[in-house]
Amino acid sequence: MTAIDAGAMRRTVVWWRRLAVMTRKELWQLFRDIPLMGFLVYSFTLSVYVTGSGMQTQLRNAGLLVHDGDHSLSSRELIHRFHPPYFRFDGELTRADEGFHRLDRGGSMVVLDIPARFHEALATGEPVALQLLVDTTNSPQGLSAAGYATRIVGQFSQETAFSRAGLPRGTSQVLPMIVSDHRVWYNQDQNEEWFESIAHLLRMITIFAMLLPAAALVREKERGTVEQLLVSPLTPIQIMLPKVLAMTLVILCAMAVALFGVMQPLFGVPVRGSLALLFTLTALFVVTTAGMGLFAATLARNQAQVGMLTLLVVAPMLLLSGIMTPLEAMPDWVRYLMAISPLRYFIEVAHGILLKGAGLQMLWEPVLSMAVLGGSLFGFGMWRFRRQFR
Amino acid sequence: MNLKRIAAVASKEWREVTRDRLFLLLAFLMPALWMVVFGYGLVLDVENIPFAVLDRDHSELSRDYVYRFLQSRYFSVQGSLSSEAEADDWLLRGKARAVIIVPEQFQERLQAGRSVDVQTLIDGVFPLRADIIKGYIIAINSAVNEDLLVDHLARSRGISRQEAQRLSRRITLDVRYLYNEEVRSAWSTVPALVMFALMVSSPLLTALGVVREKETGSIYNIYSATVSRLEFLVGKLTPYVMISASNIVLLWLIAVSLFAVPFKGSLLFFLAASFLFVLTSTGIGLIVSLLVNTQQAALIIAVVVATVPTILFSGLIVPVSSLNRSAQFQAHLFPGMYYTNIVRGTFLKNVGPMVLWTDVLALGLYAAVLGVIGYRLFSKRPRS
Repeated sequence: MTAIDAGAMRRTVVWWRRLAVMTRKELWQLFRDIPLMGFLVYSFTLSVYVTGSGMQTQLRNAGLLVHDGDHSLSSRELIHRFHPPYFRFDGELTRADEGFHRLDRGGSMVVLDIPARFHEALATGEPVALQLLVDTTNSPQGLSAAGYATRIVGQFSQETAFSRAGLPRGTSQVLPMIVSDHRVWYNQDQNEEWFESIAHLLRMITIFAMLLPAAALVREKERGTVEQLLVSPLTPIQIMLPKVLAMTLVILCAMAVALFGVMQPLFGVPVRGSLALLFTLTALFVVTTAGMGLFAATLARNQAQVGMLTLLVVAPMLLLSGIMTPLEAMPDWVRYLMAISPLRYFIEVAHGILLKGAGLQMLWEPVLSMAVLGGSLFGFGMWRFRRQFR
Repeated sequence: MNLKRIAAVASKEWREVTRDRLFLLLAFLMPALWMVVFGYGLVLDVENIPFAVLDRDHSELSRDYVYRFLQSRYFSVQGSLSSEAEADDWLLRGKARAVIIVPEQFQERLQAGRSVDVQTLIDGVFPLRADIIKGYIIAINSAVNEDLLVDHLARSRGISRQEAQRLSRRITLDVRYLYNEEVRSAWSTVPALVMFALMVSSPLLTALGVVREKETGSIYNIYSATVSRLEFLVGKLTPYVMISASNIVLLWLIAVSLFAVPFKGSLLFFLAASFLFVLTSTGIGLIVSLLVNTQQAALIIAVVVATVPTILFSGLIVPVSSLNRSAQFQAHLFPGMYYTNIVRGTFLKNVGPMVLWTDVLALGLYAAVLGVIGYRLFSKRPRS
């Protein structure tokens, strides 16, 4: 080994040692903040549990009021078909126009009005119309309730029409009919606990990964300690990177706690793909998101500013990246905008590995996108950071 | 309480806020910008679902059948597949969220008057989407079935199509949508976004207020000053409440002008209730600020406490009645839910204090409790 090699080698060792020391400093700083640590634990345990077990996006318990003008066998049978979990029977109305007032007051969502002579009309095959009032102050839920109601009435009317026409009840082999047979994959029971707990985990990772390093960097700027650091033998990257490394470590541990302490034992969320891949790609996601936070940190002069700047970006990420509602339903410009949201890619990765058992060969597209995005954000952030202190 | 001292604290805080140009700009820009982005971008209806077809029959009837899916605005057909393995692959990669498989002998069986099983594979990762896809497929199939049945009856009994239609007549369901007659997604989201913008921005504005002084040490000036605890807290909050209060007006204007959401209720009632709501949301920020010692902690706690329950449990996306018990309990713990009832009620339903008094009362209690907690938490003789 020549002297030059040995020198280079020593410098490398020193470089890494400095990085390690700085990372340890960041970790200590974080651990000493007791309220923050307590909150981190809450966010990755109790909060994941409550959201996973409590959030329901599918229609549930839509309050149903009925005005039954017929009080016959048929009307009662029809009412019985509006059952939980989709509908919740809120009571009968004595007058048809009472429905409006009850919907005004809130609580109930739909009013079904069955006309007099309903039973008779069914027997003779006369046309008969039912009325449904739907509260659409929340439009998707209102539409969904109307959809279920239409399905229930359609099925009921088909059965009565069949018996009137002397055809066998129900769908039968001897009629030209299409029998729909659906198979739901990856989450057979459409278990919302899985979906919501995963979504919540990703939300928490995103918030922490963006805010923690950003605030930490701005704090040093605000107090002037960053200038001390810059006159030390540390390079800017040795100042920035440890913040990200420390937060990444903490977040990965928090994810492990959420996954093995809450989601697997309590909800049975599967890990169908490789755990190592999941943690590696989570690290990539955290670093990418942190790059965004650090970029914001170079724009801000104090922590109040950085808080506002990151929140300005985080809120759209949380709502539009596809963890609340499917991305394909969004307008085009949202989908273009979300191309710069790392969460948009990570959600595919997380669902892919956990639920679909996908490997890297299936996930290379989102992974590559995250890597490119993270690389450029980091690079740009570094560049600005250096320039500010030149 | 000495008004002069309150004014002194308030004007000092106000100057601090107004000198920070970026902060001031963001304080007004952020809620307004969100409102615009989410008002246009947050589409809650599920449409354009990527969809693929595996047609094994290649007959006239199967093509007609597939065409019904092509036509639907709910599905966006990505292509036709040649094998089941390909279907697996497309679902795995997310290229298609559902694949419909039309079996061989589709036409033959139907023409022979027999039933046929059509299989659909649905990506269940997103339970809501899977559920909606199922609903659409059932709806399309039942429309097809109705036609098939009419044809069958007409042919097998030798009657006219009209007669067959009468025989198989369905009960019609007239659906009437109330409050949002055209069922525009924006009409239901935009009022709730007023809640979102206020609920998320004002705690953040306030959260750093006290903790910043703790971190920089300037809080000792307050400890040693003649200003009382209450005077200090009121003065500290005043600028932030003022900013949020003017944001109420700004957001209301965006909702009625840009999104043309009807405002049916009483404006005076709306403004009063909104002001009460702003007191609670800034109060939350204040409590966070009093509880922690670093701005970093204050930031992250304020962001999580303000955004997460607001997105999940305030009725913005899912009505509280659909949640299960523990989540409903949590929903009642945060002020967002009560205010969502107020905004939706005043915007779309034209209901006022007669109906909404419980929500207003809840907000009032909330503000009072936060005030008492804040007062108790803030001590001019801190430990250590």
